[in-house]
Amino acid sequence: MDAADAIVRVENVVKDFRPSFGLRSRRVLHGISFDVQDGEIFGFVGPNGAGKTTTLKVLMGLIRASQGHATILGCDVRETAFRQHVGFLPENPYFYDYLTGREILSFYAKLSGVASRAREGRVSELLDWVGLSAAADARLRTYSKGMLQRVGIAQALVHEPKVVFLDEPMSGLDPIGRKEIRDLILRLRDEGKTVFMCTHILPDVEMLCDRVAIIVEGRVRHAGATDAFLGEGEPEADLVLAAVPADLPAQLEELYAASLRGHGDRLELRVREKFVQDVLQATLGAGGHVVSVTPHRTSLESIFLHAVEESSRC
Amino acid sequence: MLSAIRVAAIASNTVREAVRSRVLYVLLFFAVTLMLFGIVLSSLSYVESERILQDVAMAAMRVFGVAIAIFVGVNLIHKEVDRRTVYTILSKPLTRAEFLFGKFAGLVLTIWLQLAIMVACFMGVSALTGAEVGAGHAAAFVLLGGELALIVAVATLFSSFSTPLLSSFFTAGVWLAGHLTRDLRDVGLRSNSEWVGEAGVWLHRMLPDLQSFNLTIEAVHGLPVTAADVWLPLVYGAAYTTLLLLAATLIFDRRDFR
Repeated sequence: MDAADAIVRVENVVKDFRPSFGLRSRRVLHGISFDVQDGEIFGFVGPNGAGKTTTLKVLMGLIRASQGHATILGCDVRETAFRQHVGFLPENPYFYDYLTGREILSFYAKLSGVASRAREGRVSELLDWVGLSAAADARLRTYSKGMLQRVGIAQALVHEPKVVFLDEPMSGLDPIGRKEIRDLILRLRDEGKTVFMCTHILPDVEMLCDRVAIIVEGRVRHAGATDAFLGEGEPEADLVLAAVPADLPAQLEELYAASLRGHGDRLELRVREKFVQDVLQATLGAGGHVVSVTPHRTSLESIFLHAVEESSRC
Repeated sequence: MLSAIRVAAIASNTVREAVRSRVLYVLLFFAVTLMLFGIVLSSLSYVESERILQDVAMAAMRVFGVAIAIFVGVNLIHKEVDRRTVYTILSKPLTRAEFLFGKFAGLVLTIWLQLAIMVACFMGVSALTGAEVGAGHAAAFVLLGGELALIVAVATLFSSFSTPLLSSFFTAGVWLAGHLTRDLRDVGLRSNSEWVGEAGVWLHRMLPDLQSFNLTIEAVHGLPVTAADVWLPLVYGAAYTTLLLLAATLIFDRRDFR
């Protein structure tokens, strides 16, 4: 599928915020472009204040782009009718806390045009799906943050959308809550939905996303398949050695440009994969032992940090 | 084109929020207390005690009705934006106009519900004291309902771009001025300055003529009320309210929710 068939398409979007009484407007998006394909989990990654939420708000029609063009399912994001096929979970979602879980989902179902005869069944099904059946008739003001996050996901799905936008879906959740939300996102993909996820929790992105775009200071710095990102650069390996003679670390560092960390006669080092054999021979020849050899994968974190550093140099 | 189902969904939820909010019950309690206080006040007078009672009670209904309209009206949009509940709502297939009209309709229904409770109290107090209640009273209550709807529209307009505090000052100002526009026009016309006279006429044309919604004197004193005394202000109010809501929609439609 090419960019023309993309489910979400963002082209040179610029957003300027005009301060109330200020003289100059502030540009927060500098002509960003990317696209999201059908059925994938797309990670939109960036540090705080990079422009992730602003981009998402442009896509949801909550703010208007100053320049550029964005479409979802081929429709201009300023239109309304296509939202029938779009679900949205904002960051730290807020709901009418005087309503119960069942009432709020029924309200959103009504707004989304779910037929009245199907509404009750759909709401019960979703409450069950997100694990809130037991608390369905309790007011939202009694819900925990994790429960509210699940209500947020349920309201985003109440009308069975084709595309789901999630803004920091794991924010503020404990490890169990994060695992539950991760599982929910994977279930969405299994059901054939396209998921667009804004986050700055990189391990989640590595674990979940098929493709990633990194945004820094309102500019998309990298975009592509997650696996391609992680396969970038020359392959390396982490080695743990024991009973290492005192003069060996210096030799290894000089010959193989290894990065070292020592604890007594134990040594941890990272070398390029092509030098692994040589390092092992040198260690065994000097009377040392090999504890472990682990291939090292470039982490998204290192790419992300590199993008941020690059941006600060510009 | 507005969808009746979506407008009704927003409106019914607004009514539900008001019904579950304690603040409105407090205001309603004070309104009813003030009406009962009218009994005490009227007992102090040797003459026309029933009229004093009804005067005080109808004034209480108007003041507390307007207070509730302003208090809730100015928070109508601000609260949704401030609490960010608007994010999930506007991400649904719902236009901003539908949202705004739904909020307005819900608040007007809430206020009419409270007005109905106050009218029931008024009837009870009148029956207790033997004060007469006639068609003039019914006309006055209907027009009061129209006035309150118009005030909610004014509050909605200010709420679409301003803070609740400023909006409440502006709306209260419009309400006060709206009851004085005829006097302002007459004072202007009696002035020696042509400019002041013109200004008085224009103020009367631009601001809502809320005095046309006030039939208290006719009701309390049993003066004749014609059908035109009721339908003309209602048509005028409906047109004015529609214009205010259209202006509010234009402003709200251009807002960025940061």
